[in-house]
Amino acid sequence: MNTYEKFRRMMDNHIMLSFKGEITSDIITMVLQIMETKLDSVSEKGSVKKKIFNVLVECMQNLYHHSEAEEAGDISTRRAMLELFYDNDYYYILTGNYIKNEGIDPLKERIERVNSLSKEDLRRYYREILDNNLISDKGGADLGMIDMARKSGQKLYFKFHDVNDSLSFFELQVKIAKKKEK
Amino acid sequence: MDNLQIDGTRQTPEISFNAESGILKLDGRSIPENTFEFFTPVLNWLDEYVSSAPDKVVAKINLEYFNTSSSKYILEILKRLKVILGEGKDVLVEWYYEEDDEEMMETGEDYEDVSGLPFEIISFEEE
Repeated sequence: MNTYEKFRRMMDNHIMLSFKGEITSDIITMVLQIMETKLDSVSEKGSVKKKIFNVLVECMQNLYHHSEAEEAGDISTRRAMLELFYDNDYYYILTGNYIKNEGIDPLKERIERVNSLSKEDLRRYYREILDNNLISDKGGADLGMIDMARKSGQKLYFKFHDVNDSLSFFELQVKIAKKKEK
Repeated sequence: MDNLQIDGTRQTPEISFNAESGILKLDGRSIPENTFEFFTPVLNWLDEYVSSAPDKVVAKINLEYFNTSSSKYILEILKRLKVILGEGKDVLVEWYYEEDDEEMMETGEDYEDVSGLPFEIISFEEE
């Protein structure tokens, strides 16, 4: 693929931002700054922009706190990816990071639980976790996932890709409707 | 007791706690990666304030964004206000949200429910 084809592909897929690398505190600050400027220039309602920004903040916190290193013990290999794009109906925030294989089942259970709950039940679950003080400094517990599900109003899409005996690649996609759904 | 004044940044809120007037303002956004570092002095100030608070304390919370790791610290702030309430003082939380920001309104209701403090949930128009 030549450079122009790459450019066209990015244009046609409406990619607003694409990042691969280590998610550091500085990177988070910069990405949020770029996205705020970009979102200011799109013609969506304020509430849609807020939802996108909120979910983006939470996704980046997840990558920052939970990415595993590609090479054990070498934190400079905590590589992750982040992409923001849209189509006619939705904005999409896509993240990918390494996860230890033993972490798959608990994470899968947590997301499936969040996905199985209605709007009202999600809210009850959120209050319960907040009240029980089960949140660590990493955000932790299920609050991040619940929050993304609540803010996006959509089910969370996820997938684990096989990498090797100790690692998998965790894909999470959160979508946000451009128009309020009835 | 000294006031607590912390300037806001792109990641952290402006804190403006006036010890004498009992007006405690939290303004802006709270999305730092290391919430512990930011909130520890705030909680320490409130711990000390419990014994010197005036008869009426009003917390004005006006947050545009906050991440889930900040959310437990917001509850910790409210828990300290609950202690002040328990001392027989008048405590009110004013929770502000931008008109069309339903999530922030609901979050206010969630905190009202979980903290058991008197809340006023107040909307304002977008700029």
